[in-house]
Amino acid sequence: MNTDKHGFKAILLRHETILLFVVLLEWLYFNSVGPRFGSVDNTFDIMRHSVEIGLLALVMTPIILTGGIDLSVGSLLGLCAILFGKFWRDAGMSIPLAAACTIGIGALAGGLNATLITWLRLPPLIVTLGTFSLFRGLAEAITRGADTFTNFPASFLFLGQERWLGIPAQAPIFILVAIGIWLLVHRTTFGRSFRAIGFAPEGTRYAGISVERRLAMAYVLAGIIAAVAAIIYTSRLGQAKADAGMGYELFAITAVVLGGTSIFGGVGTVHGTLLGVAAIAVLNNGLVHARQPREVAGMLTGLLLILALTSSIISKMLASLNARRQTSVTKPIIT
Amino acid sequence: MTKSFGAVRALKGVSFDLHAGEVHALLGENGAGKSTLIKVITGAHQPDGGSIKINGESVSQLTPASAHKLGIACIYQQPALFPDLTVAENIGLRLESASVFRKVNWAIRQQRAAELLKRIGAEISPDAEVRSLSMPEQQLVEIACALGAGARIVIMDEPTASLTQKEQHLLFAVVKDLRASGVGVIYISHRLEEIFALADRVTVLRDGESVGTNKVGEMNESSLIKLMVGREVSAIYPPSESAAGNVVLSLKNLGCAAGGVENISLDVRAGEIVGMAGLVGAGRTELARVIFGITPADSGEILLNGQRITISTPKEAVAHGIAYVPEDRRRHGVILEMPIAHNMTMAIHDRVFPGTWLRFGAERQLALDFTHDLGVKAYGPDAPGGSLSGGNQQKVSLARWLATKPKLLILDEPTQGVDVGAKSEIHKIIRRLAKEGLAVLMISSDLPEVLGMSDRIAVMRGGTITAMLLAKTDAHEVMAAALGKQN
Repeated sequence: MNTDKHGFKAILLRHETILLFVVLLEWLYFNSVGPRFGSVDNTFDIMRHSVEIGLLALVMTPIILTGGIDLSVGSLLGLCAILFGKFWRDAGMSIPLAAACTIGIGALAGGLNATLITWLRLPPLIVTLGTFSLFRGLAEAITRGADTFTNFPASFLFLGQERWLGIPAQAPIFILVAIGIWLLVHRTTFGRSFRAIGFAPEGTRYAGISVERRLAMAYVLAGIIAAVAAIIYTSRLGQAKADAGMGYELFAITAVVLGGTSIFGGVGTVHGTLLGVAAIAVLNNGLVHARQPREVAGMLTGLLLILALTSSIISKMLASLNARRQTSVTKPIIT
Repeated sequence: MTKSFGAVRALKGVSFDLHAGEVHALLGENGAGKSTLIKVITGAHQPDGGSIKINGESVSQLTPASAHKLGIACIYQQPALFPDLTVAENIGLRLESASVFRKVNWAIRQQRAAELLKRIGAEISPDAEVRSLSMPEQQLVEIACALGAGARIVIMDEPTASLTQKEQHLLFAVVKDLRASGVGVIYISHRLEEIFALADRVTVLRDGESVGTNKVGEMNESSLIKLMVGREVSAIYPPSESAAGNVVLSLKNLGCAAGGVENISLDVRAGEIVGMAGLVGAGRTELARVIFGITPADSGEILLNGQRITISTPKEAVAHGIAYVPEDRRRHGVILEMPIAHNMTMAIHDRVFPGTWLRFGAERQLALDFTHDLGVKAYGPDAPGGSLSGGNQQKVSLARWLATKPKLLILDEPTQGVDVGAKSEIHKIIRRLAKEGLAVLMISSDLPEVLGMSDRIAVMRGGTITAMLLAKTDAHEVMAAALGKQN
């Protein structure tokens, strides 16, 4: 039966599969062009550089599944980085305590988004556009645009710069978050509710599901993970400035959409998002090895997004054409 | 004239004529075919058969644009004006010839608007923003547009539904003026007194057929109601087999200002089907939404099995064992993009998925059980809700709520837009549920359905219950109560 989603042809035509091929092609191409591209060191480099955007893309996925968006995560990363530095240097907290407080701040900031969206019933685009400015503005006000936090202890820099069990030290955190979000979206009733809200928010309410609570959960989670990303970012660069994570929200959204999640909500997967992150990260790193100017990266990312989306739409059209041809012949019915 | 939608024939050979300088009232139950007839006349729908003649000339291929040119204008309950533009601009948009680049002559536009408004005796400034006008004032602007377009046929669809007494009189005066100036008016209303005050002739539609055109002077209220209801309830409804048990739901002076319902007192017993009749807009769906916590009550009490409860969200209603199969199946009842299995478990996540972890096997089994039990025709539990026919979608919606094992089931138009076969299947299911001891509150605009299925009938009008009738009542009585008439 053609409608079987586990058929070989169906898997081949799935968006994630197409994207996997794109990533592999990118890899093969850059490996043939840049001699050092395929090395273990460079692979870990790609990982290190994509962890923060990857984290943001992971938590953006449930939000976009509900039909929402969070433009504030990049700015929140900046604010959290600054506050983390502030807690450690000026408030004299230990690194673990400062990290815990920073994560608390992230949760509060996510809570602010959630409150405005669910209580005042404002569109997420407008709310997070507001907090996008607010969080960045706060970060700049706190540092007066000049203060930079540096000289973190080596034990903290280990997290962002060293290896642990042979892999970049921040990778285990990313893997844990990825598994957590994957389970949340694909294996729990929360994920089911996110999708339902994305398809029909009113219909979900009529089914007795608390739409507000589910939405709040998605935005608070985004705030928490943005704070985690801020700590990793600070550790990787060894410094925290007010412009940390500038523009990251757009990279994250691009990765999610590239990964096949519908911007209208309801449809999408976490593994798609991971592939989206990989496609962008490999492209950006590979272009350096191919000795291309940096501007090309943005252009190609855009092109990649458009190509990936068109190809998956075309394959979907083909699939539905096939399905129609099939069902017109035999119509299996269960009664 | 005939018009079919899919398998449903909305109009079956209706003949209708309108003279110049006449007010011709159109009357009928909800779903009798009034709206369809209007849509055919205004060119929004193409008839499948029959002909339309205007001034003796046969008109074929009527479109909204050509109907407009022929002088047909329709004024709906909700005026279709641009709220942010002024009255003069709105009138100008309707009446001035349209081309891409054209200079607006503001003086002429202003003057014409003022003249038209004066002609209908409306004291509205042409410069007023439409947003600032009341509903009747907006209707007057619509009438002005119709006049300005030289309309010879003006259709008014329940124009007084939202008007106060005073505003009605103003509107009546305008309608009488229109008639005096030779315009033919088709007047649709549920309010019988208006028809007697205004109309010259009246045509009654029933089930898509015209059951007679009469001079208003020859009719009285009772004979009109008889015409509207007409047929006897046929024996196609399964007989009631259950004896009513304890009171499950008891409403005491329940009200909700935001929902437009007030002072509702009602008991529903276990094993009993209470039908809710009334016209569209009588507040029946609004009452269901209050009980289900979508628009929570702000006065009165809800008692469930004798215990006072408060319900402020649908989640709480579900927790108390209240289920609501909503009227708008495609927006609220079923999530069309989701597999029917997911739809069926939506209200029982806690029960099928303890600890929030999805259990696909249990879900699939539950969906298979319900598809089998209710006779849902779909290719499997993975079929998206949108791929099913209306009747089967309704069964999915029903399955979702039966899965919650409710104490009280509220059905809102359970067979609306459902084909005849599925309709009688749904009726059998409802009967069976009542027999098993479920308390059922069934809202329906289908009068034979209410009469055939209910043990008792509550009639609503103007946001409150105006009559409680026993099962063996006749349609005439229900309709009279819904229209607010004592015989």
